[in-house]
Amino acid sequence: MFSKEKITIAYTIEKCEGCGIQKKRKFAEGDVLFSKISKCNSCDGDTVIDKIFGETIEQ
Amino acid sequence: MDFTNFDFDQLFGMKDDTNPLMMLIWILPIIIFIFYGQRIQLYVTSGEIKKGIKKLGGFREESRNELINYVNKHLNPKDNPEKKIDQFLDYFTIMPVDMDPNGIVEKVQHTVRSREDYTREHVKSLFSEINDVELSKTQTLLEIASSLQMIHKIINHMFLTAKKQNNYPLILPLQMILPFIMEQAEAMKEAIPVFKRGQPVGDGIGPMVVGKMMLHSPKEIVAFQTAVAKTEFESRKLFLLKAEGPGSTVGRPADALESIISENKLDAIIMIDAALKMEGEDSASVARGFGAAIGGIGTEKFHIEAIATKKQIPIFSIVVKQSVKEAITLMTKEIADQADDVRLQVYEMIRENTKEGQSVAIIGVGNTVGVPQ
Repeated sequence: MFSKEKITIAYTIEKCEGCGIQKKRKFAEGDVLFSKISKCNSCDGDTVIDKIFGETIEQ
Repeated sequence: MDFTNFDFDQLFGMKDDTNPLMMLIWILPIIIFIFYGQRIQLYVTSGEIKKGIKKLGGFREESRNELINYVNKHLNPKDNPEKKIDQFLDYFTIMPVDMDPNGIVEKVQHTVRSREDYTREHVKSLFSEINDVELSKTQTLLEIASSLQMIHKIINHMFLTAKKQNNYPLILPLQMILPFIMEQAEAMKEAIPVFKRGQPVGDGIGPMVVGKMMLHSPKEIVAFQTAVAKTEFESRKLFLLKAEGPGSTVGRPADALESIISENKLDAIIMIDAALKMEGEDSASVARGFGAAIGGIGTEKFHIEAIATKKQIPIFSIVVKQSVKEAITLMTKEIADQADDVRLQVYEMIRENTKEGQSVAIIGVGNTVGVPQ
């Protein structure tokens, strides 16, 4: 009766293959695991998508 | 008012001075329940089941509309696809006769693969151009919509039959299985947007682990929608197998294994898959075991076991526990976080169970949507 509505938000974790720095952002259309995103700002290594997952929050 | 001052003799007494009206208060319901109890229960239960059927009907409509909208918006169909999609939704599969079980696995495999091939070709014919990833996604969405349609039909049929005959015992099993059916149907409904957006599902943990291990090695297609990469680890030869991502498919791991074994000698097989957790078990917990960890209708499992038995190859498994819903909806953070740990456990398993110079096949089992290699 008073249950809260649950919504799931998809996130993408970008990880630098060189220095291991991770960045979490919202999932964008076309994201697939292991795809190269850009160059890392700190070490100039390749940043790839390491994880895509959902987090559920109650509203 | 003093509520403790009840005269129970007035209500339940059978003395000469007992009020007959008070006696009726408890005798009448007993009589009604003796003669009409089953019918009353039928009405009460019917209400619950009706609600469930209404919900299932909603899921069926929603999945159909989502599929049609997706096709119209993203895939530029040649003509209006509604009629053709409605035809697909009504397809059924008749399983082969099993009175003589000899050769039943081949027959089931043939029937199921024929259905898949037929659907794939006909979905393809709806569009002038469609790539394999979109094709596999559309096929999965079609399967979901078709399954929801079938579930609704069956439950509705069982309910109406029981109702028509005023048969309470017939409605009982329906009442008992309904919560499980609803759980599955809700999971399927929630899976639709995930497959549409090409996001990894919980079942994709096996392909995710093996896909990462394959990353910097040359890949080839070894069986239908199944990729293999050959690599080395501490002087052992590894054959890494998974369904070809990022489309929505589980590939054909048994065919791939057969192809590898026809040219190579294997000393161990390691399978990584998602497994249904038991109630009370933690989601995303990892367990190791023996035997082929692979679900589905059983034909792939049968062939993998047959190959392993014939060649006397041990099969080891690592599973990541999850619920039905988690397996087919967007991968949870807890499951995704296990990928690195499972990969380390695979390497540990290789070290523990093989010697230098030996060969191991590692199979990432599961739907590979959103998980390339």
